Amino acid sequence: MKNKHKTGVTKMKKSLLSVISLLLVMSLFLAACGGNDSKSGEEKESAEKTTEPQQGGKVTYALGGEFQGLLEWAFYEEASDSEIIQFFNESLIQTDDNLNYIPGIASWETEDNQHYTFTFKEGVKWHNGEELTVNDWVFALETIAHPDYTGPRYVNVKDIVGAPEFHDGKAESISGIKVIDDYNIEITFDKARVNNLENLWTYPMPEKHFEGVAVKDMASSPQVRQNPVGLGPFKVKNIVQGESVEMERFDDYYQGKPNLDTVVVKVIDAALTSGVLQSGEVDVMSVHASNYEQVAALDNVNLEKVLGLSYSYIGFKFGHWDAEKEQNVMDNEKFQNLQLRQALVHALNREEWIKGFFNGLGEVVDTPVPSAHWIAADKEDLTHYEYDPEKAKTLLDEAGYKDVDGDGFREDPNGEQFSIQFAHYAGSNPTFEPRAKYIVQAWNEVGIKTEFAKGALIDGTLYYDMLEKDDKDMEVHFGTWGTGTDPDPSGLWGRDAIWNFTRWTDDKNDQLLEDALDVSIVGSDQEKRKELYVEWQQLWNEQLPIIPIVEYYDLWGMNKRVQGVHVSAPGLSDFHKWYVTDGK
Amino acid sequence: MLKFALRRILGMIPVLLLISIVVFTLAKLMPGDSLSGEIDPTNTDPQYIEEMREKLGYNDPIHIQYIRWISDFVQGEFGTSSRYKMPVIDVIAERLPNTLLLGVAALIITYILAFFMGMYSGRKPYTVGDHVISGGNYFALAIPSFVAAIVAIYVFSFQLGWFPSGGSSEVGLMEGTFAYYMSRLHHVLLPALVLGAFSTASYTQFLRNDVIENSRKDFVRTARAKGTKESTIYNKHILRNSIIPLVTFFGFDLAALIGGAIITETIFTYPGIGSLFLNSVSQRDYTVLMSLTMLLSTLTLVGNLIADILYGIVDPRIRLD
Amino acid sequence: METATNTSLKANIKPRKSLSPWAIARKKFVKNKLAMVSLIFLIFVAIISFLAPFITTADVTKVDIGKMNLSPSSEHWLGTDNAGRDVFTRLLYGGRISLTVGVACTILIVTFGTFIGSVAGYFGGKIDNMLMRFTDFVLNFPFIVFVIVINTILIGKVSGVWVLIGVISLLSWGGVARIVRSKVLAEKENEYILAAQSIGCSSAKIIVKHLLPNVFSTIIVQATLLFAGMIVAETGLSFLGFGIPQDVPSWGNMLSVANQPDVLQNKTWIWIPPALAITLTILSINFIGEGLKDALNPKSNR
Repeated sequence: MKNKHKTGVTKMKKSLLSVISLLLVMSLFLAACGGNDSKSGEEKESAEKTTEPQQGGKVTYALGGEFQGLLEWAFYEEASDSEIIQFFNESLIQTDDNLNYIPGIASWETEDNQHYTFTFKEGVKWHNGEELTVNDWVFALETIAHPDYTGPRYVNVKDIVGAPEFHDGKAESISGIKVIDDYNIEITFDKARVNNLENLWTYPMPEKHFEGVAVKDMASSPQVRQNPVGLGPFKVKNIVQGESVEMERFDDYYQGKPNLDTVVVKVIDAALTSGVLQSGEVDVMSVHASNYEQVAALDNVNLEKVLGLSYSYIGFKFGHWDAEKEQNVMDNEKFQNLQLRQALVHALNREEWIKGFFNGLGEVVDTPVPSAHWIAADKEDLTHYEYDPEKAKTLLDEAGYKDVDGDGFREDPNGEQFSIQFAHYAGSNPTFEPRAKYIVQAWNEVGIKTEFAKGALIDGTLYYDMLEKDDKDMEVHFGTWGTGTDPDPSGLWGRDAIWNFTRWTDDKNDQLLEDALDVSIVGSDQEKRKELYVEWQQLWNEQLPIIPIVEYYDLWGMNKRVQGVHVSAPGLSDFHKWYVTDGK
Repeated sequence: MLKFALRRILGMIPVLLLISIVVFTLAKLMPGDSLSGEIDPTNTDPQYIEEMREKLGYNDPIHIQYIRWISDFVQGEFGTSSRYKMPVIDVIAERLPNTLLLGVAALIITYILAFFMGMYSGRKPYTVGDHVISGGNYFALAIPSFVAAIVAIYVFSFQLGWFPSGGSSEVGLMEGTFAYYMSRLHHVLLPALVLGAFSTASYTQFLRNDVIENSRKDFVRTARAKGTKESTIYNKHILRNSIIPLVTFFGFDLAALIGGAIITETIFTYPGIGSLFLNSVSQRDYTVLMSLTMLLSTLTLVGNLIADILYGIVDPRIRLD
Repeated sequence: METATNTSLKANIKPRKSLSPWAIARKKFVKNKLAMVSLIFLIFVAIISFLAPFITTADVTKVDIGKMNLSPSSEHWLGTDNAGRDVFTRLLYGGRISLTVGVACTILIVTFGTFIGSVAGYFGGKIDNMLMRFTDFVLNFPFIVFVIVINTILIGKVSGVWVLIGVISLLSWGGVARIVRSKVLAEKENEYILAAQSIGCSSAKIIVKHLLPNVFSTIIVQATLLFAGMIVAETGLSFLGFGIPQDVPSWGNMLSVANQPDVLQNKTWIWIPPALAITLTILSINFIGEGLKDALNPKSNR
């Protein structure tokens, strides 16, 4: 999935908690029978291959929950909508499996990472018959920058010269956009940045289709909700709100006529996964860890497993967010002691945690960067903190956290009572509570008194808001993020990132992040950029402002008759290449 | 009669008003501002948030906000759902038919089953059949609806595979076709059965007891003496007498259906307004929450009103003041 | 002729002690086999629930990954749940919670409802009107909304169990009030009440000493049925996630995992015990209630 999310990272808000539950409902089933499936985990294509893709047929794809229905890239908010849009609309630029940008409908050139020239392929058609031109892209950019725009993507347009003026209503158009002809366009950014392109919004909107619709009405218009128009291999035929979307083949797709006749996206309760896959009611569905065993046992289904882009971590609170200066301020001494943090890592058996609560469908991770990403550091370059409660206890003793009053819990080096309030979000997933409890228990076992912040799991819809506001009780928190295409971690872990809930600041942290974005230092040398990011990961690995726990596997259940599906960390793709072996 | 109904309806208004005040207050008290649902989630600029707060009226004193909401509400302006980004009316309108279908199906099943079982038990009391039915009834009365739903799914959906375990219909069927309607019915049967289980049991028991009592009465003896057929006695004379009090339960049933639907729809993931209601609570979709609460409360009150009216009609001794 | 017959008659006829209505009721109840069995069952369940800490030593809250989802064995009679906790132990502790909530709510509701109902029924007029309006309001209030919202607001600030008890009780006394009121309305027309009034008995005394004891039988039956209803309420709410939080076991939240089809189909030992416990408990309460109704009803002839 090459969806643009805010500055390259996705915030887990209440709506996206549903993404997490979509991807990762944890189970507590002992993987006694072996949580590892027999198929190779890195396989990208379906196991069986028939010789030639066949024409015709229908594939039914399941969504684990209701979709909102904002079926236009510029307006969608929830992942479930993007799962539908991906079939019928696409970006101008594609990404490979490691989230690198590669040319698609558009290719680009730049000398200075500030002035870009884009060239569009000719003859690419929209579903309504109109040909794609750069004007459609300008239309999209101007819609998003429009003062009446109701969606969340302005941040992906604001760096273009003239965008803020347009956004404030002071200009008639965006000055930094120059249309050369129908297929060529120049875009100038307000300054040179290494990731200007990654930040830019690259989804055009069909100008003709939206004729007569005011920007403020677009989100609720039938053009978005009932009969959206796209560039992709399938076009929307019928929508039943909240239940299903039926799509049929678009013969004029620019990459060639798609193989399938029809794609149906259906909302299916995740609880019914194995049932619908077995009966054939659904052909392709993402599978939660809790349903893994059942689906693996089905003989008409291939289970594809690929390391995804989401991970969970435990964060310490080091300070607060200064809203005026728009910066993190580190003024909380409590967790400053590095040995304390190291001890807490060693006290945690992350492997067992994954095995127990995820059916083994995750990997221990020591950095806040998922391995699928091209900037991910190799395991050899990082320290892996083994589960070692004895070592934890020794570290704590050395750091001065000893039990002086004999109550079974350690006091801090000053002899004062010391305890940790641990926060975890609540949700409908029944494994949340035991897995949070497990962490609390582990720390209690090495003598650090730990309790649930606020006495219980915290309401999922409020959790991240409370974290953002630096709620006093949430001293140590559990969090989950999913990353997007832009590797830049500043949005989540930098000094001016409000979403850096740890509020940890460090000069080297700032320096590395800045340098990696600095055109004068890295230019367009990706290797150089990666080096800087590896150093950054090593910094985090050493300093442990967070304890990374696990990166999750994405599981896809696919009926054996469906072939040609490309499975990778960002998701499924190559929809026009999908075919079915039985022609149905 | 009419005066009574009118007076009651007028009496409902202050109650509804009071309920609306309480609901509104509760929604405001709930942690989690509905503001965040209505504005751009990625814009964390405090200035922007303050602007929107002012613009959307959150800084106005509470009673102004309330008045604004309630006056919009009675004019049919239910607001916009922060989750679905659609007018609340549309969201509700989409799901209402499903719940109606469920409710009607439950009622029909209840009456049919109760009728047959009740008459049978009443005619042949203390036989094996009667004991079996009574035993089943006791069970149905004791088992809470969510337990019943789970067990029903387990037995009828998973083990026996007779019914689907969720949803409202098979997707991909063209609306309006016969297959589509059949699928709708198929999907609604199990939830309707569970929803109506409690009522079915109580009606059956009631009918049975009433039939037995009536069969001891004089008019039955007379009819028998006259040589009337047994079946006519039961199906015409006794039934007519017994059905009447049953009718009065209808109003209460209506109110109970509403509450029961919430649980049943959730467990069966049946897309009706019951599950919409619970979802709006967990999702903090305040506009939907408040609108639905008012809707459900009104329905409950109407149900009670119907019950009282029917009771009055049925029993001439009750003078409705 | 001797007076043999007289003496033998005299000797054989013992003066029959007349039984109080309570004794009659008790005898009738005891004869009701179903009710007695239910009573014994209920007492049994209550006892083993409250003696839970002495019966099992397993830790109810400890998460043990190594022991997750084990099927029943000699070590774990009912197997373990999704966090490695012994199901049997949780069942017993859960019984504590569910029964306690049931009893506490019932007591609160009966007390408050009787108070309102008797005052309204006795004084009549404006007071009655006002109180009944209020009662109507509470009766019609959407229960679920209130409970869920209050729970959400207060979570973390006050211990979950008592919040739940308070909230449920707050909304459920309407029915009792109504019934007590109608009974009191009927009773107060009786002459003994008029007599008491005429000798200057205070209203409070009349209500408490004269009216209530006669209404008592109704109240008892209501209370029993209420008890069952309260257990359903608590378990239902916990099942939906709006009641007792998962850490503290209750029959309701033990059932909530049954929402996952995997648990439903393959791990039946996790949800069948609480489902059975709830159903059987309510069943017995219902029988007891019916038994009481029959026993206290002078017109029934069992």
